[in-house]
This record gives sequence, structure tokens and C-alpha cells, in this order.
Amino acid sequence: MSDTNVKETAEKKSSPKDIKVNTVEPKGMGVKKKRIVGAIVKNTVLAILAVIWLIPILWLFVSAFNVDPGINYAHFFPSKGWTFNNFIQLFHANSAVMYVRWFLNTLLIAFFSCIISTVFVLMVSYAFSCCRFEGRKGLMSLSMVINMFPGVLSMIAIYFIMKTIGLTESHVGMVVVYSAGSGLGYLIVKGFMDTIPASMREAAKMEGASELTVFLKVILPLCKPIVVYQIISSFLVPWGDFVFAKLMLGHDVKNFTIAIGLYGMLSKENLPRYFSQFCAGGILISIPISILFIIMQKYYVEGVTSGSTKG
Amino acid sequence: MKKRIVAVMMALTMCAGALAGCGDGGNAGNGGEAAGGDSSSAGSGDALQSLIDSTEGTVKLTVWASDVTEAQDLTQELIDGFKAKYSSVDFDITLGAESESTAKDTVLTDVTAAADVYAFADDQITELVKAGALQEVSMGYTYDVKAANASGAVDAATVDGKLYAYPMTADNTYYLFYDKSVFSEDDVKSLDKMIDVAGAAGKKIGFEFGNAWYLYGWFAGAGLDAYLGSDGNTNVCNWNSGAGPDVAQAIMDYCAGGVLVNSTDDGSSVTGVKEGTYAAVVNGIWNSPQFQEAWGDNFGAAKLPEFTANGNTYQMNSYFSCKLVGVNPHSENVGWAMVLAEYLTDESAQVKRFEKVGWGPSNSKAAASDAVQASADIAAISAQTVFAQPQRIGGYFWSPAATLGSALSSGDLGGKDIQSLLDEAVTGITAPAE
Amino acid sequence: MGKTGVKEAARVKEPKKRKLLSESAFIRYFRDIGTAVSKGDAAVKLSMIIMGAGYVARKQVIKGILVTLVEALYILLLVVWAIPNLSKFSTLGTVQLQMVFDPATGKNVVNDYDNSFLILIFSIVALVLLAVFVLYYIHNLKAVYKIQLRAEQGRHINTFKEDLKSMVGDKFHITLLTLPSLGVILMNVLPLFVLVAIAFTNYDQQHMPPNALLDWVGFDNFKTLFSRGGLTVSFGYAFGKIVSWTFLWAFLATFTCFIGGILLAQLINSQGVKFKKMWRTLFIVTIAVPQFVTLLLVRNFFREDGIVNTLAANSGLIDFLKNIGLVKSSMNAIPFLSGRSVGWAKFMIVMINIWVGVPYQMLIATGVLMNAPQDQVESARIDGANKWQIFWKITMPYILVVQGPALITDFVRNINNFNVIYLLTQDLYTTQDMAMANSNAKEVDLLVTWLFRLTNEYYNYKMASVIGIIVFLICVAFTLVSYARMMRGGREEDYQL
Repeated sequence: MSDTNVKETAEKKSSPKDIKVNTVEPKGMGVKKKRIVGAIVKNTVLAILAVIWLIPILWLFVSAFNVDPGINYAHFFPSKGWTFNNFIQLFHANSAVMYVRWFLNTLLIAFFSCIISTVFVLMVSYAFSCCRFEGRKGLMSLSMVINMFPGVLSMIAIYFIMKTIGLTESHVGMVVVYSAGSGLGYLIVKGFMDTIPASMREAAKMEGASELTVFLKVILPLCKPIVVYQIISSFLVPWGDFVFAKLMLGHDVKNFTIAIGLYGMLSKENLPRYFSQFCAGGILISIPISILFIIMQKYYVEGVTSGSTKG
Repeated sequence: MKKRIVAVMMALTMCAGALAGCGDGGNAGNGGEAAGGDSSSAGSGDALQSLIDSTEGTVKLTVWASDVTEAQDLTQELIDGFKAKYSSVDFDITLGAESESTAKDTVLTDVTAAADVYAFADDQITELVKAGALQEVSMGYTYDVKAANASGAVDAATVDGKLYAYPMTADNTYYLFYDKSVFSEDDVKSLDKMIDVAGAAGKKIGFEFGNAWYLYGWFAGAGLDAYLGSDGNTNVCNWNSGAGPDVAQAIMDYCAGGVLVNSTDDGSSVTGVKEGTYAAVVNGIWNSPQFQEAWGDNFGAAKLPEFTANGNTYQMNSYFSCKLVGVNPHSENVGWAMVLAEYLTDESAQVKRFEKVGWGPSNSKAAASDAVQASADIAAISAQTVFAQPQRIGGYFWSPAATLGSALSSGDLGGKDIQSLLDEAVTGITAPAE
Repeated sequence: MGKTGVKEAARVKEPKKRKLLSESAFIRYFRDIGTAVSKGDAAVKLSMIIMGAGYVARKQVIKGILVTLVEALYILLLVVWAIPNLSKFSTLGTVQLQMVFDPATGKNVVNDYDNSFLILIFSIVALVLLAVFVLYYIHNLKAVYKIQLRAEQGRHINTFKEDLKSMVGDKFHITLLTLPSLGVILMNVLPLFVLVAIAFTNYDQQHMPPNALLDWVGFDNFKTLFSRGGLTVSFGYAFGKIVSWTFLWAFLATFTCFIGGILLAQLINSQGVKFKKMWRTLFIVTIAVPQFVTLLLVRNFFREDGIVNTLAANSGLIDFLKNIGLVKSSMNAIPFLSGRSVGWAKFMIVMINIWVGVPYQMLIATGVLMNAPQDQVESARIDGANKWQIFWKITMPYILVVQGPALITDFVRNINNFNVIYLLTQDLYTTQDMAMANSNAKEVDLLVTWLFRLTNEYYNYKMASVIGIIVFLICVAFTLVSYARMMRGGREEDYQL
């Protein structure tokens, strides 16, 4: 794609932005009433959906306060009484359950792999969306093809490759496992970058900005909503993966991530004694992630306002 | 470095010699084994002393034990005891967690990275030996493994006549748990009687029909076979012949009555007992504490009951398996790994294990102790052991048998008759392995 | 509407000759090598041996040294590590592991054996490194020749500083892509090659390195799959059933979540909804708890003896369902996931997947909708279009363009959606179909979960690789076709104006 073409069309497009926005004014009370009814309906639907979505979480929550340590399929609410003990137990490490240790391990792995993944994805997305170079489309198709390969099947191969580099039984290795291939997941962010007018980049370059400056100062601020998505989803991976972690991380209990640890609580011997603690552990995981999201929400809103200035 | 090369060359000559001497690879191991056997009978104390003498520097060992808290604690305690016992040697022993039931999967993924000493369930032993993941127990450094353990446990640790592991427990089987306030000790001898009593009391009896492990007990009770054939790959199964269809019909009839019900899994069994729905359930020792808690003083355990099929009475059988401790031949310190494995499985360790973790000993003397004998679970297990077979079955058994049990208990055979359903299941179970 | 004009403009930009161009580029690539070799001066020719020579001759000393260092490192790696492994690649090793135990020293004496699997992996790593090196070598040769031309024409030759600067300028894409590409090669490409190689060996439970040696068997495994009826007694039957469910599932899972996410995002964003942040956070909470925790809970929820069934029995729902024929009269519980009713299980899995997937899609859709072209929406509103028309005529096409490629990857990801299926059905779902059971398969299995079980329980790596490759090829074909269709006319630039 030649640059001149893009520029030309960009100029063509720039005309509609002069059109003044004329919102249709509500006429009379009828519309207002309709709007109120609509709002009530919408809020009710949302409330119902939220309840459906939250019921399993609620079960998780109440199970975490169950006096009975084992699983009970017959009751929603604890039948033997409530206790805060399951949470307290989690903070008293024993030789098989070291929740705090696992939590910190996972937090550390998640933090670094989240940063690397997000940076990788943004880098690849920018290169594919905003740079024009020979073989770009070929490379994009190739990445898509490679991304299609089910990781579960190549686990042993990955294990032995990591072992050769000496990265098994190490947290650094886990960060590598979770983040090294992340560049392949560029599609969503790239799709988003595609919607940012090229004219903005051209303008910045006209003023002498390098590609790096354009990337950091022009494109990145506009991508906040999708960066939020990317950060959250890559931060989540280490908390939920037990297949790779079990294989890579060895057997020392204090090196476990939360996922292997919690999954171990569900074994035949452990389930009757640790189910309630398992639930408590599951809830505690959601705290850092929810906090992350609440912090990130700010940028979501910023995304709205900055997005509206672009047209 | 030079020393190592010499050693390797020596080993190679030995191998070559053995191969040339016997001309047939199958017998190659026998020469070495005979030598090992000699030293064992000559006096294991000497071997241990020479091991201590020849040890230089730090001995690094890793141990994998069950991820159950008490088992981890106990193993750590035993490791400390081991270090104290051989204080002249500098040990660096790390303990890891790996459930016995999944040890094989982890070990086989990368034998060279697996622990030097690891615990596993005996049904995995054939595959572990085949993959070269178990060091043959050719001699005992501190005690004679074969003599010290119950013969069933030794058999469970033996493949092709060679001992490959150290028995640790002998309790992995299923038996009957029941509520003494509902059943008398006499009632639980017969399933028919139990169903009458439970039905009258408005209670149910849980059995995991959808689990091939449990289902086996019915067919084996009627004298039918399901075991791994001599080629080590293909299963032998004759459930579709002889009394097989009768047993299948009996399961369907029992379940249709609504008192004997299909319990989905462990969780269902435990929930059923806790909720008071089940007055009896077939399960294993790992859930015994749950049942004891639920029933309190009315907790009872017994061997499995008799059932009737087509007018004949059969004693329900079960699978019996042990937990074993194995030594990884890829260990840098096989000798010390063997000594440690012995330490983890000797009489005093097994007694401690029963006291702290509640696992039934395989060591004959440990099993004879008063504390062990007083346990209702152990009594039930030893009564059931008479009617139990070692769990030696290939992977193709599980899925078809589970489907068979599930279909029979639901009474929905998908439009087939019993005979053709059994035929199909047996075809799947006995399918030639790749 | 303003949209059509934009589309036309986009179509004009894309030259039809692309295909031809890229083919000639392929030929040009090799012609350029020839030119560089034949017309290069002494410095360029010296670069064929000492790669940095061409730069040093043009006073690019630092670059020259760096390039030569890389070359030296490569050669060292090749000699010390790659060649020993590659030399055994054709046989995958010949020395069988042998051990002799010495009770006195307590050591196993091991011979210097070959580990076939490590030889296989290392050889592939070596081959990939070699391929990268060759490409780099050629690139270098051309670059050196180009500098020679520039020098001859008296044009400016970049200093090292200027070279560095171009890495954030017109060569920025190289800077951006280098590290991610290395990661992808390590984590995706190498394992993929290893797996392809395994498909041509006899790696199974009878042949497990290091205890046994592997051998190449050519296409034998592929022949086994297609000629002798395959792995298990009812392989063909199970394979057919699983493939068709895999695709049906991928389709349902992708589109239900996609549409659901957009609708939810629209609903939260729409006028009159209060506390938008709170609603969004509520749905995010379900993401915040790891999938395996929630899925394990949800599946217990829907057990035959679970809470939902207890409620359904008490409320008479089960009787109602029996009356209308949705539950067989012989059953005393709704067979949500137990396998007694395949239809129920498939329905439940799709529904639970909606539960899992919609919040994610909502997150993405919210982000995408925020960047939606407001001017078009406004002009449509002026034209008198109502909200539904605006949504279907403007917002939806926009989302489809932005998310189209992601939708394809989602589809493929769902084909390989291990977690949801495995966690919801493992140990809980028992198939009632003996033919499926005989292949160790369940009606609700996807190809990956089935494969996982085959490898994990039977260590049949060779056949898993074969089937993995076939699945992969199907996915690739599907994606390339739909992606090409989607990309036709350079639609990615529709909105990038």
C-alpha cells in the first residue's frame, strides 16, 4: 500500500468532520415517558442478567464461609453454620498448603508476563496496523496460522525446549511460557488501531515525529480501552493455568502458583477437607484482578472522551 | 572425570560381556541380579557400610510424596530422621508434592527430571517398569522387603518375578461403610437383606456404578475376569459369557428398585451420607473420616455384601492395590535413594503413617500392631482382601466399563439387549493396544 | 449514507496486481543474490566469508564488527552444538541406554547413550537456527552490495548513529517485531516443528526415550490412521462424530458469545442506564475468578444430585419437563451434564460457555464501540434512521470489520477450546454410547480433549501428532479462506482514514 493513496483518502475523509452534530430534540412528554420506561426495562434486564452471572460467584462466596470443610452438593447455603475460619486457615501455611506463598508467586509471574505480553501485543499490532513494509500481509497470515496450533498438544516439546535453556522449575520460565508467544494475539488490538485515522499519524510525522514518537504519543493514548482489555486478559492467564504450570514448575510446594495449588486441593484425598478453603482461595484471587479493573476503568472513560475528539 | 570414563567403560564391557555370554538380551539382567542377590544374602550391613564409605561430598536427593498435608508432614519428619540416622553423610534432600495417583503421568513425561524416590499407586507399575522408570530392588540395605511385607503387597510391587518397589500401604480397595443405627452386623452380609432394611427405613444405598473400578466387583464376584494379558498390552475380559449377563441383569433389577442407587462420584457418596440419604455406601479408606464424622458412634465398616444373580449368590469382589515407593534408576545416588526408600517404608515408618495419616500398613508386623488391629477400616479391608484381586488392567478397560455400569444402573440400554451391550463392552475392553 | 463513499475509496486503493507483484518479488530475491555475488567488489566478496567486511570497507566499523561477531557466534554454535546433534538426526541415535547397578558404591553406571527425543528436538532447533542464519547471510550480502552501489553513486552512507535512528524511523517495524518474533519462534514455531517430526516417528508407549530409541517410520502413522480403521476399534465412528461436534461447537460458541457481548455492551452503554461502571464491574467479577474455579463450581451446580436438580424437583420443573418430553420419563433428575442425554449436555455446555465468554466479549465490544464512527451515526440519525437501523446498518458492519479477523481466531480457538470442555465433562460425563466409549471418546469431546486423553493416558504421541497435524491443516485452510475473503479489497483500511 503506497502512502500517497492513504493520504489522499485521508484528506477526502476529513470533510465530514465539519458537519455540526444535530441531535434530534425530544418532542413533548410522550418521548420522555417512553424514555423512562425504556430506562426501567433496560435496568431491570441488566439486573436479571447480573443475577444470573453472579449466582455461581455467590455460591463460591457462601461456600467459602462454610463450617463444613468438604463439598456438599445438596445445599446452596452452608447447612452447618458460617465461619471466617477458611480464610484464616489459608494464611496459616502448612506443608501442603502455602496459599500466601502461592499468591505472591502468581502475582509476580502475572505482573511480569502481563507487562511483557501487553508490550509485545502493542508492538506487533502497531507494526501490522500502522507500518507498511514488504511481506507484511504474508507475516500477518503466517502469525494467524501459527496461532492456530493447539498449545496443549505441543506441551512436551515446549517442556523440553525450556528444560534445555534451564528454565523449568523456575518462575522466570513461567513468565516466558505465558508471554513469549503473546505477539500472535495481535488481532484485536490491531483491529482497534485500524480504526484510528491515518491522518493523525501523518500530521505528527509532518511535524518531524519519528515512528516511535507517533507510536507512544499519538496511537497509544487512543488505544487505552483496548489496552485495558489486553492487560486484564494477560494478567489473568497465570491465575487460571494449571496444565502448563504443573508440567513446568516442578514439585516444590513453595514454588507453586495459585492454580496448581488450588487444583491440588481438589484431589480425591483433599477434596473432603479443603473444598471450603478452595472456595475462599478462589475469592481472594478475584481481589487483585477486580482492583486492577477498577483502576483501569478510569482509562476506559478517558478512552471515550479522547475517542470522540478524533473524528 | 577420568574416573567416570573408566567406570563407563567398565560398565560397557560388563554389558557387552553379559550380552555375549547369554546371547539373548532377555537373560542379560540375570547375571547382575544373581550378583546382587548374593550380596544381599551375604549381609546387607556390609553393603550399607561400603556405601557409606564410598560416599563423597553431598548426596542430593529429591522425594515426591502425596500432596495430603499429613503425608507431607510425615515424610518431612522421616527425612529428618533419616538424616539424623546417617549423620556421617552430608545430605541435601528436597521434598516435593505429587499425588500417588498421578505419579506415572509426571514421571513418564521426563524420567530424567523425576524425583529420585517417589510414591505411586501399584496399578502404574507395569508402565513405569516398561519405561525404565523403576530401579529393580535387587537387594535390601537395611531390611528384607519381601519378607517384611504381606505377600499381596509384595506381589503388587513385582513385575515378571522381579521386585521393583517398596510397599508403603496396603489399603487401596473399596468396602462397605454403613450406619449401625439402620443395619445390624448381620444385615450387611447380604445386599438383598440390606435393600429390604434400607427400603423400610426410607434410606438409600450408594454405589458408583459409573466408575469401572467399582463395577469390577460385581463381575469379578461371579468369577468373571478382567485383567491385563500376558503381553502387557491387551486386556482379557469375559464379562459377556458365563454368568456375565445374569450379573448385568441383577444390577439392572437392583437399581430399578430405587434403593440401591448410582452415586456419581466420591463427592456424591460423601454428600449422600452427610445428608442422611445414604444409610450405606461403597467407598474407600480416604473418605472414612467423613463417614465417621457423619455417623459418629454408628459408623460401621465391613467387607462387601453378597448379591444374588439369577438365583445364585455371589460375594462381591474388589480391586486391591497398594501404594508403593519406587527409586528412579536415573538418580545420581541410586544406592542412597534405595536406603531412603527403605527408611520411608520400614516397620516404624508404616506405624507412624497409620497413626498420623491413617493409611493401612503393608508391613506384616506393623499391620499386626494393636492400634492397627483396632481400626474398623483395617478389619474391613482385611476381610475384603480375601475377595480382592490386584489391580492389573490396561487403559482400554476404563471407558467402556464405565459406560456399561452407567447404562445398567440407569436401565437405559439404548435399545440394545444385555448380551449385545456386554459383547460391545468386551470388544472395547479387549481391543488390541497400539 | 456516508458509508458507501468510504467503501469505494477503500476499494480504489487496493491494486489488483498484488499477486503478480509478489511473485516477481520472489524471483527478484534470488536474482539479487546473483547480482550481489557477481558484481560485488572485493569488499563484498570478502563479506561472503567475513560478513562484516563490506561495512568496514565503507567505514561502518561498528556495524561491521557487530555483524562479524554474530557470524562468529553462529559458527561456534554450529560446530559445538548443532553438528553433533544433526549428525544423529537421520537415525535418531543408535546407542541404547544401558545401566548397571553397583551396590557397593550405590551408583548406576550408565553408558553414553543416545536420547532420541532430545536429538530430535535439538536437531530441529539447530535447523531453525541454520535457516535463520542463511536468511540473514543473504540479507547481509545484499545489504553490503547496496552500500557498494551507494558508494559508487557517491550517495550518503549512513553512520552507525543514523542506522540506529532508522530503527525508530522507517525501519521501526523491525524494532517492533524482533523480540515478539523470537518469542513466537521459541514457544510456537519450534514446538510445532517438533510435533510434525514426531508424527513421522514411532514415539509411543512401547518406545519412550530415554529408555528406548526412536526411529523414523515415514508415513506409516498416517497410513494407520486412514487404512486400518485407525487407533481404536470404533475409531472412524468416533472421529466422525467428534469432528462434526467440534465444528458445530466452535460455530455456536463463537457466535453466541460475540453477539451476546455486543448486545450486553450496547445495553450498558445505552441511554438511561445508570451506574454503567458498576454493571461493567459486576460482569468483570465473573472473569476475575479463574475459569477452572468457576467451571468446577458450575458443573457441580448442574449435577444430577446437585442444587439445580434439587430445586427443579421441589418446584415440579422436572415433572413439567417430563410432560413436554424434554426429559425421559425414566429419569428422576435433569441430565444436565451427566451424559444420559447428549442433547442436554451439548445445550448446557454452550450455555455455560456463554456465561464464561460474554463478559470478555463485552469488554472488547465496549472498547470497540467507543471508537465507533460517530459522524456516520449522526448523519444517519439526521436521515431519520431509528436506533435498530443504526445498530444493524452502521454499528454492526463497523464491528464486523474491526473484529472480523478476531472472530476467525475465536472460531479456531473454540475448535481448540480445551479448558471449558475438559473442566465441564472430565469425570462427570459418562457416554452411553458403547462405540464411543470403546474409542475412549465422549459425544461432547472436541478433537483436542480427545487427543489430550489419548496422549495423556496412553502416551500415544505419534498418533496424537498425526491427528494434531490434520486438525491444524483443517483450521489453517478454513482461516486462510475466510481471512482472504475478509481482507479482500483491503477492508482493514476502511476506517483508517
